Amino acid sequence: MMGRLAVKQESRAALALVSPAIAVIALVAIAPMVWTLWESLHLHDLRMPWLGQPFVGLDNYAAALGDARFRGALLHTGGFVLASVSLELALGLVFALAMSRARRGRALIRVVVLLSWAVPTVVAALVWRFMFEGDSGIVPAALRAAGAIPPGFSFFVDPLAAWIPIVVADAWKMTPFVALLLLAGLESIEPALYDAARMDGAGPWRQFREITLPLLRPALLVAILFRALDAFRVFDVIYVLTGGGPGTSTEPIALYIFNTLLQHLRFGYGSALSVIVFLGTFVLALAYIRLLGRSLLEERTA
Amino acid sequence: MLCFPTLSCRGSGDPGRLIFSGSAVGREAEVVRSQLARWSAERGVEVEIRATPDSADQRHQLYVQWLNARSPEPDVLQLDVVWTPEFAAAGWLLPLDRFGPDLADFFPASIEANRWNGALYGLPWFVDVGMLYWRTDLLARAPATFDELAAAARDAMRSPGVRFGLVWQGARYEGLVTVFLEHLGGFGGRILDDNGAVVVDSEASVRALTWMRDAIHVDGIVPAAALTWHEEETRFAFQNGAAAMMRNWPYAHALLESADSAVAGRFAVAAMPAVRGAGEPTAALGGSQLAVNARSRRPDEAWALVEFLTAPEQMLERARVVGQLPPRPALYEQGEGLEGALGIAPEAAREIVAAAKPRPATPVYTQLSEILQIRLHRALTRQQEPRAALEDAAREMRALLERTGLAGGGRLRSHAG
Repeated sequence: MMGRLAVKQESRAALALVSPAIAVIALVAIAPMVWTLWESLHLHDLRMPWLGQPFVGLDNYAAALGDARFRGALLHTGGFVLASVSLELALGLVFALAMSRARRGRALIRVVVLLSWAVPTVVAALVWRFMFEGDSGIVPAALRAAGAIPPGFSFFVDPLAAWIPIVVADAWKMTPFVALLLLAGLESIEPALYDAARMDGAGPWRQFREITLPLLRPALLVAILFRALDAFRVFDVIYVLTGGGPGTSTEPIALYIFNTLLQHLRFGYGSALSVIVFLGTFVLALAYIRLLGRSLLEERTA
Repeated sequence: MLCFPTLSCRGSGDPGRLIFSGSAVGREAEVVRSQLARWSAERGVEVEIRATPDSADQRHQLYVQWLNARSPEPDVLQLDVVWTPEFAAAGWLLPLDRFGPDLADFFPASIEANRWNGALYGLPWFVDVGMLYWRTDLLARAPATFDELAAAARDAMRSPGVRFGLVWQGARYEGLVTVFLEHLGGFGGRILDDNGAVVVDSEASVRALTWMRDAIHVDGIVPAAALTWHEEETRFAFQNGAAAMMRNWPYAHALLESADSAVAGRFAVAAMPAVRGAGEPTAALGGSQLAVNARSRRPDEAWALVEFLTAPEQMLERARVVGQLPPRPALYEQGEGLEGALGIAPEAAREIVAAAKPRPATPVYTQLSEILQIRLHRALTRQQEPRAALEDAAREMRALLERTGLAGGGRLRSHAG
């Protein structure tokens, strides 16, 4: 009797203690989501008040599926995630290996490497914009001098070349972050494993493939998850560098939604786009985390 | 009703004070401030300036949020010429006909741009027109046709240091639409016809856009980099002496004559060229209007302020200090004091303004414009052929008019030109 009462009291106390947290989450996370979902079922065009705000069911979603600009934006986002994350992983791994080998001044090296990550994205993107600017930038000037590009060439005017400054700027800024994550992973690998491998006659490449890579996998997966989710929401780099142009050929999903919601003030349609992207990200993240959890588990039992 | 976190939804404090909202930077702000102070002293009504962002897009967004929240403030608003139909259709502006405004002395096109469904919603404050700046030391005369322009550009580019024949605003923004409109008029095309139907996919349009594209990629007289340029980048190119010709607004004139300009005293201004027999020299009509908030608590005082600010005396002061063109043709007469203030002979300026074409008057102008911006930019960056780009633009514009209940022209007021 006493025991059950105590448990009941305790769980009541627990409920009372967590209720502020639940209330805050409901207020700041769940309420806006429900609101967005509700908005997405309406025609709500702030610039066209004469149309009213009728309930339109799934019309906005149907329109989104037929919207070539939306599909393009999804495609651009996917391409950007692939290109930037793989480049950052490759470079980050090289940096991490170099840093873990350094014998002197390790703290200093880490600070220096982190500097570019500490620069606000908008500032970094602006600097890169100046460097790639068609007429006056140092990158086109150097390439012109080397004969690599024709005289009138401008990166921001070519639908494919416009991606180069974007990916370069993003990699410049985010590679240090990846490198630090991987460095932490490298440091957790037992040095004795390398000694044993060396004793068995394994060369550096064999050591890297048989020891470093498998044991680094958890850190790699975490880095991929962080960077992929981050890259999926890319906005500021592209907003500053190309504004989504030329035409809309570098417009990512976040920029398109920003334009729809905040420039055109189409709340209903913009909300539908947001919901679609939210669901997509949610499913991807869920699948990835399950994958990640399983692989971590395998590590442990192995 | 939607309340934005950045805004208060409460009605505002002192009902005795009039709120004026518009651009408030630099010398322009000084003129506005001193004129408001003068009116305030004469009238005995306090006026407060509510500064808004200098970027047109951001100001527009802020206005929409205020007015949509049914705020009685600001009482008097500075509107871009293309916003009037949008705000009028939304019911956010006070029709001004009740005050019996005297419209006889304004350019007809600038008054037309302030009408929606027959009613008047704003008074023109100053006008902007696109003009062709050309170097008098490189060209014998201003080109009258596009062929002459291309020939003159190629010729001028043989001079040392002149890298560009012609520069214009080619970035994907409203400026590109005004540049296109001027080429379009020169080739005899239009965006909407008198009934409000989309005709931007006409043969004349295709020719105009093809000329613009080829000027970059075939003739090489316009730099590809111009496809990322706004007004200021083109002015820098012209001011450094790197360009033989430039399409820009009147504001550039005073800056080009300044001490640090490489072309001071070596350039002149003319109307844009046109194809003989097909089109006519066309300037896009821009500029600002003054309108009264439909929910203003003191509409009579607000109107009095609009009337004061758009009176000849105040317009002349603006023109002299900031070089903005007055919307009243009579002020360009000799002896009114505009000689030397505009950097262009007042008579020539008046001719360009009188021939200026308004952009389509429709509440969905900004959306139509964005469709066009994207398609024009795609064609100019060779992602699409001009014809296909204009056909896509026309289809998307028609779908938008359909979706918003504005198709068929019933509610669309015809526009001049």
